[in-house]
Amino acid sequence: MTTLRIWKHFPREDLYECYQCARCTGSCPAMEVAPAIGPRETILKCLNLGHQDVVEDERLWLCCTCNVCEDRCPQKIPISDLLVALRNSAARRGNIPARLVLAVELLAKTGRSMIVHQLDEMRAHHGLAPLPPAPIEEIRELLSKTGFREVIEF
Amino acid sequence: MKEPESLTEKTSEHNDLRIGVYVCHCGKNIGGTVRCEEVAQFATALPGVMLAKDSLYTCSEPGQEQIKSDIREHRLNRVVVASCTPRLHEPTFRAACQSAGLNPYLLEMANIREHCSWVHLHEKDAATEKAKELVAMAVSRVARLMPQFEVTVPVARKSLVIGGGIAGIQAALDMADAGYKVYLVEKAGSIGGRMAQIDKTFPTMDCSICILAPKMSEVGRHPNIELLTLSQVQEISGHIGNFRVKVFKRARYVTDECTACGECIDACPQLVPDEFEAGLSIRRAIHIPFAQAVPSKYHIDMHHCLNNQGIVACDRCFQACQKKCINFADRDQVLEFEVGTIVVATGVDVYDPTPLTELGYGKFPNVITTLEFERLINAGGPSGGELIRPSDRKRPRKVAFLQCIGSRSKRASPYCSNVCCMNTIKDALLIREHWPETEIYVFYIDIRAFGKGFEDLFQRARREGVNFIRGVPGEIIEDINTGDLRLLGENTLLGSHYRYTMDMVVLSVGIQPRKDSASLQRMLNLATDTDGFYMEAHPKLRPVDTTSGGVFLAGAAEGPKDIKDSVTQASAAASRANILMSKGEVTIPAITARIDRDKCTGCGLCARVCPYHAIEGGKELGYYRVVEAACQGCGVCVPECRFGAIDQTHFTDDQIVSQIDRVLANNPHDKILCFACNWCSYAGADFAGVSRMQYPPNVRIIRTMCSGRVSPAWIDRAFAGGIGAVLVSGCHPSDCHYNNANRETARRIERFWKRMERAGINKDRLRLAWVSAAEGAQFAKVISEMHEALARTPADKVHKEADKLREFLSKKSSSQ
Repeated sequence: MTTLRIWKHFPREDLYECYQCARCTGSCPAMEVAPAIGPRETILKCLNLGHQDVVEDERLWLCCTCNVCEDRCPQKIPISDLLVALRNSAARRGNIPARLVLAVELLAKTGRSMIVHQLDEMRAHHGLAPLPPAPIEEIRELLSKTGFREVIEF
Repeated sequence: MKEPESLTEKTSEHNDLRIGVYVCHCGKNIGGTVRCEEVAQFATALPGVMLAKDSLYTCSEPGQEQIKSDIREHRLNRVVVASCTPRLHEPTFRAACQSAGLNPYLLEMANIREHCSWVHLHEKDAATEKAKELVAMAVSRVARLMPQFEVTVPVARKSLVIGGGIAGIQAALDMADAGYKVYLVEKAGSIGGRMAQIDKTFPTMDCSICILAPKMSEVGRHPNIELLTLSQVQEISGHIGNFRVKVFKRARYVTDECTACGECIDACPQLVPDEFEAGLSIRRAIHIPFAQAVPSKYHIDMHHCLNNQGIVACDRCFQACQKKCINFADRDQVLEFEVGTIVVATGVDVYDPTPLTELGYGKFPNVITTLEFERLINAGGPSGGELIRPSDRKRPRKVAFLQCIGSRSKRASPYCSNVCCMNTIKDALLIREHWPETEIYVFYIDIRAFGKGFEDLFQRARREGVNFIRGVPGEIIEDINTGDLRLLGENTLLGSHYRYTMDMVVLSVGIQPRKDSASLQRMLNLATDTDGFYMEAHPKLRPVDTTSGGVFLAGAAEGPKDIKDSVTQASAAASRANILMSKGEVTIPAITARIDRDKCTGCGLCARVCPYHAIEGGKELGYYRVVEAACQGCGVCVPECRFGAIDQTHFTDDQIVSQIDRVLANNPHDKILCFACNWCSYAGADFAGVSRMQYPPNVRIIRTMCSGRVSPAWIDRAFAGGIGAVLVSGCHPSDCHYNNANRETARRIERFWKRMERAGINKDRLRLAWVSAAEGAQFAKVISEMHEALARTPADKVHKEADKLREFLSKKSSSQ
């Protein structure tokens, strides 16, 4: 596995401005319904324990990237950028949920991230033509070029 | 300026120079590194030098006596003291000269301690050579110095206080009690300001209006105070000691006979939201701001009166008034008067939390601000002091306070508003006191209880059962049926989520500079900090002065402050103003700029760069002139003049060029010429000396008052003369002691770099560095870097570039 290079993609200094007011977690819909870590704790852990601790945590993937935290952050910390950087790093280390792996594999195989048989039936029912075929080759190339192959075999 | 003619004649009479040079050993401080006898010996041979001596401690009594007796005995007409920094002992030696009958401006100091012996501790030869050159530079400058006479301007014993809040009231009373006439200008219909709106004060829980009202009525009846309410300052011109002020006074429409009986209010048909009650209740068009108002007189808000079209459509108040005090013919007027000093006490605005949509202020009726809350629980407020919530006027059982709303935030104000924590704790205790069954929750990030008695109050609140929860809610949701509010957030100490249902939420809003603070800033030429508050002249040592002479700051206009601090600062500002007024005159150092009327073409470029608007005149007049009382002596105007019409007294082009020429006389290609401003960079170099930071000895420092004085022509001369490198250094941007005059420095250097490029000269040889008085290490670092770069440049390249520049300059002058 490659070494962690989070701070190359995200300026660590931005995190120092966090004063733990918890406006982000108070606004977090993922934390409402699931045991997500939440932006406040993510930032605090990155600062106090190092990001190693965070990227190994599965709960990192519970964020639904709605960006409300970033909207309401009084210190304008780019939280969503931080999460993307952390998730990229987590994925490279193998910390990636099975359902996500499945979705990517499906995308590589069919060109779509979901199964569409039923959709075609419904379309036929309404007299609509079936969905045009997805450009699988292009999508596979995109996946390889964006580095998905390093993370997920397909 | 009254220039005694006999004296000017006397100096021109013995035009032959008789310079005395005194080289100080300063114990071992200088003598341990520099061979002082050798330096004195060297100085004897310099042109114009009559005698040169070295002494152990020149600043000591015998050292000074020596100078005095030599002046008398040998009729010395110039003195050079080579010792420590002029920032330390220039006043000492000037006084010595003066007592021996020599004009104090005929003294020059060569700084061979901070700038030489202390920074070249281990290079005795090089340090001695440098000291010789520093003395030679001082000798060539002193030969060109002229006697100067300091001007005194009278200070009018009258003051203007802008703003009638607690700070303005305190400052006005202090000055009036000292016997000076005070004009107190207030925008609103009554003095009192924010303090009048507040219910209780922290940490002592005094009733706010009860302690304020006596002060207000004292202002109202004080024989030395002229109170101008409904008034705004429109124009201020002039300078320290003599400001001309124009005040726009809005019509009151009620005569002074008004007894505030209140018969007129019931008659008035016009309803208007009451700004004093933070919009929580209504008032009439004819009104008095609050019961204790001073002056205790009604006035008509003509904007909302039915007669605002200039015709009398409604005269109900007139009919109701038994004393017939209503005068619809009253007109706005402009008052003009002169004052000697000004105290700015304009106060603050309160943050409007509407943009923070997630909190629902303005949308949910039960979300209110602290100022609204103050009015709500005030016995004189709209609810008569009953704690009720706006939606159903029932008593709330659960009240939440949210801290840091609009403070410490990049979405609003980045600074801490200073008063909100304690204000919330005070409010929580007030609720506890009167309605003990109420549950109170304070959602905070940090509680800042830093002042005297603050921590006690905080502890008391905790003991009384106020719940402090760390973590501000991210969102407030209203129950539309009940008006209750649901707060979603995280308790960061427990690391768990909370949902609280509250009856009422109070947003602890921060304070902000006045929205219209820029107009006064322009009128008085004040500086503002990055947050928009007026800036003090020095954050530690001149906290109530401004960069404009005779103008002082009081209260929260300078930065968020509680009542105690506002009063303290107001008294300080009044005392500073009293010093000027009691003396009755102010002395201005003879370093002001002067314009030669014969050379001036009236282009006005100098007036444009003057940071004090001290240059007046115009095209019609044909010339510009410097108002000496307003000129602070930065000299930034001098390089701006293309016709050589301006020069700065005691820092003339001729004097400084003589220093440059002296540097160029020996091996200039090895040397770094440094121009340092008196306040920051020269002091920074001094600090490097005091800290014994070692740097290469090939730098020669020339002092100007501001880096803005540094003329591009000097840099031209230095490079054409083959200098190795030039450093221009000044205060950090926005730190400038002359109201950001160093912006001009940056602009001129940028332009010079472009010119160097055009002339084909390596522009790295000219460096601009901002060095503060505390950055001795930075100064040493810059010099070391420049020295390294210079060491890599061969001497013949320097000479070649000098030739190139000379060619470029001659081409330029011939083409003109």
